[in-house]
Amino acid sequence: MALIKLEDVSKLYGFGDATTLALDEVSLSIDKGEFVAVMGPSGCGKSTLLNVMGLLDKPTHGTYKLNNRLVDRLSQNRAAKLRRDTIGFIFQSYNLLPRLTVLENVALPLAYKGVGVTKRLKTASSMLERVGMQNREYFYPYQLSGGQIQCAAIARALVNEPSIIIADEPTGNLDSMGSRLVMELLSEIHKMGNTVIFVTHNPELTRYATRVVYMHDGMVIQDEKTSLGEVAKTAKKRLYTIPKKSVEDDLAGVSLLMKLPKKEEGIDASSKKRRKRRGRS
Amino acid sequence: MSWRTGHIHTAIVTMRVNRWRSILTMFGIIVGVASVIIIIGISQGVKANITNQVNVYSKNVITVTSKAASLSSFGVSSVPAVSTLTNQDVKSIGKIKGVKYTVPMVILSGITSGDKNYKDGVVIATNAYLPKVLNQSLAFGSFFSATDTNQFSAVLGYNAAQGLFNEQIPLGFSLNWRGEQFIVDGVLNNFKVTPFSNNTIYNHAIFISTKAADQMKLDSNNSIFQILVRVNNAKQLTTVDKEISNVLQQNHGGQDNFSVLMPSQVAKNNTGILNLLAELTIGIAIISLFVGGVGIMNVMLVSVTERMHEIGIRKAIGASNRQIMSQFIIEATSVSVAGGIIGIILALIVDGLLNLSTSLTPTINWQIIVISAVVSMLIGIVFGSVPAIRAAGKEPIEALRNE
Repeated sequence: MALIKLEDVSKLYGFGDATTLALDEVSLSIDKGEFVAVMGPSGCGKSTLLNVMGLLDKPTHGTYKLNNRLVDRLSQNRAAKLRRDTIGFIFQSYNLLPRLTVLENVALPLAYKGVGVTKRLKTASSMLERVGMQNREYFYPYQLSGGQIQCAAIARALVNEPSIIIADEPTGNLDSMGSRLVMELLSEIHKMGNTVIFVTHNPELTRYATRVVYMHDGMVIQDEKTSLGEVAKTAKKRLYTIPKKSVEDDLAGVSLLMKLPKKEEGIDASSKKRRKRRGRS
Repeated sequence: MSWRTGHIHTAIVTMRVNRWRSILTMFGIIVGVASVIIIIGISQGVKANITNQVNVYSKNVITVTSKAASLSSFGVSSVPAVSTLTNQDVKSIGKIKGVKYTVPMVILSGITSGDKNYKDGVVIATNAYLPKVLNQSLAFGSFFSATDTNQFSAVLGYNAAQGLFNEQIPLGFSLNWRGEQFIVDGVLNNFKVTPFSNNTIYNHAIFISTKAADQMKLDSNNSIFQILVRVNNAKQLTTVDKEISNVLQQNHGGQDNFSVLMPSQVAKNNTGILNLLAELTIGIAIISLFVGGVGIMNVMLVSVTERMHEIGIRKAIGASNRQIMSQFIIEATSVSVAGGIIGIILALIVDGLLNLSTSLTPTINWQIIVISAVVSMLIGIVFGSVPAIRAAGKEPIEALRNE
């Protein structure tokens, strides 16, 4: 049984002429224990998809079942409770509270759960130990490196023992060492039976995933199962099949850039068709 | 529970980080709370002193004043040129059953001079029973007696003695007043002074006997500003009070141009203006507290806007609307309560300084302090709730997008 089940989920922003279609009838089902990488160009709706799955945002249309329970129309408070108990968030910009120490930051989700001060600090401390940050407990976020802050953020996401970890470009602001550290941690979390969904631009990181979902213009254009330790085929293709520039291309300069969108015309055309269809219905 | 979720800790951290902003926000509350406590303290202190003095100096004493004089009783300036009380009234009152002593107080003008000229003084012609009626003893010497042969003797109030003579104990010294020489027989002990009470006059007075005034052919008849009547015991106060009214009504041909005041009424008359002052200040303080509250609301609204991203993070990791709301209400309340506490401490310091450096003895009223603390807390809750509701109502994703 699917842990996360999205059916024809759409998300629209704005209104009238300024309407933007961030998610276009996305149907996706994720089972328990999967390690899903979501890839795609900027602005293709990856983050929106994660926000909807993480109950931070509500879909405009479609249904979302989490643990077989319909959750797309939950009240703010119920969504908060569900988020607190089942979902852990990791953000690209870490999002630790700057005025709290690392330990206090990690303990915060437990505070909202109503756990007592001593117990929550103890739990947070052991969680920091798990991510190798036990000697940085009383540091403030600004005193740490990006990788260390992200490790603390991972500890915060794990502290409530959620079944789903949602990470929106967790390595986006990190160097290769930091990225590796974070991905190894996520991989460990996955091995413990958690479901991990993460967004990345880096095809190399698909080595950690068991499944890669490709998005474009708010739609899922490809869904590929991969084996651990190998770069996903599609990602590899995209990575290695970028046409080498010829001397002509160099000379062409700006006109080459003008040509580029035409290559993706096929996808654009199909999305336009879909939009028209919705307009009629 | 807020202490469990760490809201109080967050509130303290926020106050510490935005130190100046917090202090300036608290200002209205500090001023409001401090002024209420100080003014109520002063007025209650003065009232207590006056009542105390009435009990000490005017116990079982009925004060009869001319109607014009009783309109305001803040010292010599208010004494009318022509009083409605006469020597006949003094005699009639003396005959009433239950009256122990009757003392006329006749204010006379003119500069007195001993070693020095004394311009602040006032000459009061009275009789030998004054110390007994006022329950006051003499520092040195004796008060003139009813059977004194030397009519031209004077007894000085404590300040008058210092103002007239260079000597510490001016007994036997002479002073001039209206061309006559008076020999100083005694000096009265210092009357405890409180503002708005007659005791200020007594300390500056030169007491002479009415017989001397008569002998100098001064028209004392129309200058009696008070008749002090001491009754045998407290039980007789009411009956004697009524009887005096009756007798004076007869003497004055039915005219109601005098007041007969019981000891309690004397105190009440003297504290009337204080009550008015206290009420006015409390009114201003309430406005100050209101403005302080609006200031807190304003700053909290700014704070909510500034910290929208933080609200988003908190919501993303599981904070409910209620938890966010209580966090901001607690922050607003912490600011207002801190303002209240600073106001209370400031008021206590000012009260202490007033006590040390002036004759005022402000009372510290714990009820007012508790009420001030509660009111400042309520201000935080009431004015903090609007920003808190705004913070809580934000969609988590919208809040997170605010960087």
